[in-house]
Amino acid sequence: MKRSRLPLITLLLVLGFFYLPVGYFVANSFNASAFGTTWEGFTWHWYARLWEKRELWVACQNSLVVAAWAAGTSMVLGTLSAFALHRWAKSRLQRAHRALVMTPLVVPDILMGMSLLALFVSLGAELGLATISVAHITFCLSYVALVVLARLQDFDFTLLDAARDLGAGRWTAARRVFLPLLAPGILAGGLLAFTLSIDDFVITFFVSGPGSGTLPVRVYSMMKRSRDLPVINALSTLLLALTFLIVFASQYLTNRNPSAAQKP
Amino acid sequence: MNRRHFLAAASASAAALAAGCKGGSPSASSGKTLNIYTWADYIDEELVQRFEEENGCRLVFDTFDSNEAMYAKLKGGAGGYDVLVPSSYMVKTLSREGMLQKLDHAKLPNLSHVDPDHLKTALDAPMDHSVPYMAAPTGLAYLSDKVQAPATSWKMLDRADLKGRITLLDDMREVLGGALKTLGHSLNSTDPAQLAAAKEIAIGWKKNIAKFENEQYKTGLASGEFLLVHGYAGDIVQVMEENENIVFFVPEEGAPFSCDDLVIPAGATNVDLAHAFINFLTDPEVAAQNMEYIGYLAPNKDAWEKLSDETRSNSAIFPPAEVRAKCEPLDDLGDALALWSQTWDEVKSA
Repeated sequence: MKRSRLPLITLLLVLGFFYLPVGYFVANSFNASAFGTTWEGFTWHWYARLWEKRELWVACQNSLVVAAWAAGTSMVLGTLSAFALHRWAKSRLQRAHRALVMTPLVVPDILMGMSLLALFVSLGAELGLATISVAHITFCLSYVALVVLARLQDFDFTLLDAARDLGAGRWTAARRVFLPLLAPGILAGGLLAFTLSIDDFVITFFVSGPGSGTLPVRVYSMMKRSRDLPVINALSTLLLALTFLIVFASQYLTNRNPSAAQKP
Repeated sequence: MNRRHFLAAASASAAALAAGCKGGSPSASSGKTLNIYTWADYIDEELVQRFEEENGCRLVFDTFDSNEAMYAKLKGGAGGYDVLVPSSYMVKTLSREGMLQKLDHAKLPNLSHVDPDHLKTALDAPMDHSVPYMAAPTGLAYLSDKVQAPATSWKMLDRADLKGRITLLDDMREVLGGALKTLGHSLNSTDPAQLAAAKEIAIGWKKNIAKFENEQYKTGLASGEFLLVHGYAGDIVQVMEENENIVFFVPEEGAPFSCDDLVIPAGATNVDLAHAFINFLTDPEVAAQNMEYIGYLAPNKDAWEKLSDETRSNSAIFPPAEVRAKCEPLDDLGDALALWSQTWDEVKSA
């Protein structure tokens, strides 16, 4: 039987759909034309401009600090939340808890941004990186909880009984058996949280204070009125390169350490 | 990562977090910080450094992408800003709602340089709450190598030979405003009969254009996809660098000439420094340098003689005096907003 070409064509179309726009902005970050209409020659000019723009770097740093806090904190809180949701799934308290965890997933960003701003203002909190981080933790927590909860539903709890049976204490069993087996789920949730936090515009716009604007807020205002639009392309290209480097580095490290690779 | 490393990393990022809350890096602990909420790339960076050195302070710029977004945020209670740069109609709204401070003219000696002709049509002519910063008209631009016998009029939008190669801004105020100007009315008109007449003109234009477009008209004009576009002078001046055949004009019937103003919000803490900053930007030499960088018109009559010949002769920034006199800023529509929106819906669905 002749193999269908359909899968290959679909693959190519999907890859094209994903990566052509990325390729377009990478190419335009080296284009001397400020609008990318035509190719006007190769240039490093936009990278030089990017280097000079201190407010973009501040925004970049803000984004990373916030994302680190949001991902880190929501990994801890999300895992605890997922554990409670799984362990006492039938209790009325946990059903209410589940509804609370789900709510940020369906509440529109604009509503959340406005209400968080109103909350921070009424509390007298100074708007800044701390308020952005708290806001991000609020919605990241839900995603981490859901990812970890999915992992817990497939979790073989007899392994814990076995560990206890073989003499491990409660704490040792949790630390040496439970957490390592759950780690991929927690980590996946954390990465998701990190991405969501780096991406968020609407909520951040409302809860950011003077000097604490993150990268999306800065880039969005540049889109509307900037003389150096390709600077955004240059920055995106650098971030893309950095992401690839991290992925390659982690793969390299994983392959070098076979015991790590065998972990589920 | 062992526990000690983790703690070190956590405390380092906690320190960064705490520093961020104060809105600055630790190195700038000396002197004050002036927080400015403005549009992106709306000041020459050299001037920022100069002001910081002269006043021993630090300037922090936050940016917004529309007046409405900024308003929503401030209305929600977000504070901490010392200077805002909204458009004139938004200044009017903000001052009506008591969200602005009255300016102390004793601290603003440079106000004497502000162009009196600009103030004639300005919404805050006595400069009670605002000082004009940068202004720019909306107009039309065409490709001189492809458009025969151009006229500097809104009537260009009716030309049959350009059918399907024209874009209009997707903006009620800009399009209906242009139509009202064509009829010789004010572009802030709230008269139902005038608006109805303007609607007919706008519908005629709509039948002749390719589409309503707010972003792609720049690249479309540079690449020759569109021959005539309706757009903001600031944008068009930039694409002119890409295609030397682009010609921009302010229609002779008049057009919106919008202005962004410097204001001090009610909750500002560094009021003296904010006045000093506004005064600094109104200095003719500073305004001229800023104009060269931004490419807009600073309504500062004493700055113009300090400009390069290229900028001084740019008709997108300096339209002929008789055309400039017919231009108006967009005003707050007040209760007529509903009528305008309804008229605009009728144009869009025609």
